[in-house]
Amino acid sequence: MRGFWKKALLFLTVMGPGIITANIDNDASGITTYSVVGARFGYSLLWTLIPVTAALIVVQEMVARMGVVTGKGLADLIREEFGVKAAFYLLLGLFIANFGNTVANFAGWAASMQILGLSKYAMVPIGAAAIWLLVVKGSYRIIENVLLVACLIFVGYIISGIMAKPDWLEVGKSLVVPDIKWDAEYLILAVGIIGTTITPWMQFYMQSSIAEKGIKKEDYRLTRLDVIVGCSITDIVSFFIIVTCATLLYPHGIRVEDASEAAIALQPLAGNYAALIFSIALANASILGAIIVPLATAYYICEAMGWEAGVNKSFKEAPQFMGIYTLIIGAAAAIILIPGAPLVDLMVLSAIVNGLMLPFVLVFIIKLINNKKIMGDYTNSRAYNIISWSTVTVVAVLTVLFVVASVFPIA
Amino acid sequence: MPLFGELFLSEVLKKPVFDPKGEIVGRVHDALVVKGDPLPKIAAVILHQRKQLLILRWEQINLFSKRVISTYLNEGELPSYELQETDLLASRDILDKQIVDVNGVKIVRANDIKLEGYEGEAVLIAVDVGMRGILRRLGIERGSESLLKTFNSDIPYNLIAWTYMQPLSPQLNAIALTVSRQMVSDLHPADLAEIISQVPQKEGAALFENLDIETAADALSELEPDKQAEMIKSIEPEKAADIIEEMNPDDAADVLSDLPTEVAKEILEHIEKEDAEDIQELLHHEEDTAGGLMNNLFIAYPPNITAREALERFRKDAEEVEPVYYVFVVDQLEKLVGVLSLREMILADPDKLLADIMQTKLRTVTPETDEMVVAELISKYDLVAVPVVDSDGVCAGVITVDDIIDVIMPREGKRKRRKV
Repeated sequence: MRGFWKKALLFLTVMGPGIITANIDNDASGITTYSVVGARFGYSLLWTLIPVTAALIVVQEMVARMGVVTGKGLADLIREEFGVKAAFYLLLGLFIANFGNTVANFAGWAASMQILGLSKYAMVPIGAAAIWLLVVKGSYRIIENVLLVACLIFVGYIISGIMAKPDWLEVGKSLVVPDIKWDAEYLILAVGIIGTTITPWMQFYMQSSIAEKGIKKEDYRLTRLDVIVGCSITDIVSFFIIVTCATLLYPHGIRVEDASEAAIALQPLAGNYAALIFSIALANASILGAIIVPLATAYYICEAMGWEAGVNKSFKEAPQFMGIYTLIIGAAAAIILIPGAPLVDLMVLSAIVNGLMLPFVLVFIIKLINNKKIMGDYTNSRAYNIISWSTVTVVAVLTVLFVVASVFPIA
Repeated sequence: MPLFGELFLSEVLKKPVFDPKGEIVGRVHDALVVKGDPLPKIAAVILHQRKQLLILRWEQINLFSKRVISTYLNEGELPSYELQETDLLASRDILDKQIVDVNGVKIVRANDIKLEGYEGEAVLIAVDVGMRGILRRLGIERGSESLLKTFNSDIPYNLIAWTYMQPLSPQLNAIALTVSRQMVSDLHPADLAEIISQVPQKEGAALFENLDIETAADALSELEPDKQAEMIKSIEPEKAADIIEEMNPDDAADVLSDLPTEVAKEILEHIEKEDAEDIQELLHHEEDTAGGLMNNLFIAYPPNITAREALERFRKDAEEVEPVYYVFVVDQLEKLVGVLSLREMILADPDKLLADIMQTKLRTVTPETDEMVVAELISKYDLVAVPVVDSDGVCAGVITVDDIIDVIMPREGKRKRRKV
C-alpha cells in the first residue's frame, strides 16, 4: 500500500502537461464539431472516438518521449535537424493556422457571452485585455494554476450528458459497432473529428511543456500514463458532447452550425441548466484556447528562430515574442468585432492549413524519434514503428482528403 | 588560393562542383572543419552525388566562390566519405544550433557561418545570429533588402566573431559560448544560473561541470531547487561534495534536502566532518521555521575581551562566514548574552570590554518560530539579522535579511525540506 501512495504522489508531480494539453484540445472548434456531429448524425459517429483516441495516444506518446529525452521543444528539434527552411515554412503555417484557431476561440467566447446576455462588444475587448495582461504581467505559476482550474469546468459537459438521460444501451452499441454511412457529409464529419482532435500545434505545445517541466527519463513511464489519461479525458469529454446533442437535438431534427447554436437549441428541450452549462463550458474552452494558442505560437517561433522569448520578459527584451503574441490576440479580437469580416473564410483557411501541415509534422516526429543521435536508446521499437507509421499514414491521408473536400465541397 | 574575400556557408551549400571538363562531380553537402591557427579552417568539402558522399580536400579545389566551385580532379576520382560523429561538420554540427550569448545572457541560433580567405585557406571568421542569416538561408536576403530600402531602412548585420566562440566540449557541438572559460567565471552567479536553466539539461550540466568549485557553488545557490538537484546528480559525488562544502551551510542543506536520500548521504560522506555536521544540523529543522532558514555559522565572542581583541579575531574569523552584520556575545555555556553591530564594534573605544558596549535588549527567535513571524520581527524593528536561540538560551544560528527576502518573494517552486 505504501508503494502505491508513493507512486500516486510521483504521478501527481509529473502529470499536468498531458492533461492540460488534452483539455485545451477541446477548444471552440472541437466543441463545434462534436455538437454538429451529435445533432446531425446522432450516436452513429460515436465509434470513431475509439480509433481516434488510440491514434492520439500513439502520436502524443512519441512527442512526450522526445520532450523527456531531449529536453527540447519540437520546433527546436525540427530547426536543428531539418534546417531553417523546414522550420520557417512549418512555423509560418502554424502561425496562420493558429491565428485562425484564435479567431475561432474568440468567436466562441463572443457567442457564449451573447447567450449569457452580455454584449460581445464589451466582452471581447475585456477578454482580450485580460488574456494579454495575464501573460504580459503574470508569471508562469499563475498561468498554470488558472489552466488547471479551467480544466475542471469541462466536467460540465459530462454532467449535461448524464442529465440528458440517453439510452445507454444504444450509446454503448454505437460506441463499439461502426455504423458507416456512405454519405458525403457523414464522411467529412468523421474525418473532421480526426482533424480537430489531432492538431499540429498540440504536438508542439505538448513537447514544450514536458521539456519545460524537466521530467526525468526515469519518470518517463509516469509521463506515458499522463498522456494516456489526458487523451482519454479529451475523448470522454467529446463523447459526452456528442451524446448530449445526439440525445436532445437529433430526434427533433435540429441542425446546428456551431457550438453556441447547440447551446441555444438545448434551452427549450433540456431547460436553462443544460444551456447554461453548455455556454459556460464553451466560454471556458474558448478563453483557454485564446490564452494558450497565441502564447504557444509565439514561443515556438521565437525558440526556433533564436529570438528571445519568455513570459517574464519585457517588450524591449523580447520584441518578437511580445509582438507576435500581441498581434495574434489584437487582430483576432478585432476581426470578431468588425462587422462583415471574413470570419468563415478564415476558419476554412485555418482548417486547410492545419490539415496540410499535419502530415509534415507527423513525418518529422517519426523521423526525429527514430534518430539515434537524438533519442539514444529511446527510439521506437520495430513493432511500434509499424503501429506509428500506419497511424500516421491513415491520419495523414484522411486529413488531406478532408482538405480536398473543404476546397471542393460536394454538397 | 581558392578563396578570395568572404562568403557565407549557405551561399555554397547545394552548389554544384565542376571538374576541369565542366562536368558536375557533386553538390556541396557540408564542410569538414579542423583546428587552425588562429581560426578553424575548412579542410575538405563533402559532396553529395547520386546518394553517395564524396570528400574533396581543400588542396584539390581550384575555385571556391559564390558563383563557381571547381576542382582539379576529374569526375570519379574523388574518394567516398563515411559520416563520422567525431568529425566537426559545419552544416551538421554548427548551423541551426543554439549558442549561448554570454554577454547578453540569452540564447541565439547559428543562422549562418561567415568564411574568409586567409593565406589560401577558408577560415571560419564569424557566426551569423541575426535576421540576415535567416533571410539568406531562405534565399530572400537581397529581396528583403531592396524592399526595406524603399522604406529607407536596413537589415542590421548581427555577427559573432569566431574568436569569441568557445565550444564546450568536442563531442557536444550543440552549444558554444561566446566568451572564454575564464570570462565565464567573471559572470555574476545569477546570470550563470539563468543560462544554465535556459539550456537543455545535458548542455547545462556540461557548462556546470566546467566551472571551478567556487563559481559552481555560487551559481548553484542561485538555481531553482529542481535544477540544483539535476546539476548535482550530473557530476561526480566527490566534486559535488567539494562544491557543497564551499556553499553556506543553509544553502547546502537546501540543495541536499532536494536530493534522493542515498545520493545526499553519499555526498555528505565526502564532506569534511565539521562542515557535514553543520549541514546535517540544519537538515533537521522544518522548512518554514526559523530553524529551516537560519545559517549556523556565526561569530560569537566571550564578553570579557576588549573591542580591539574582538576586532583582531574578527579579521580572521569573518573570512569563513558571510554575510556578517552582528557579533554575538556568549557566556561559557554558549548562552547569548548580548549582540554588537559591526559599526558599534569598530567605533567603540578599543580598550573597552565587549560586556560594556554590547546591547543586552535582545530580540531573538527560537528554531521553531514561523518564518513569517521572523519576517515581521525583522520588518518591525528594522533589523538586518536576528539571532536564533534554543530553549536554553544557547545561540543556534542567525537569520539575515537576505534569507527573509527569499521568504517574502519566493522563487518559483519553493523547496520542501526533508530529513536525510
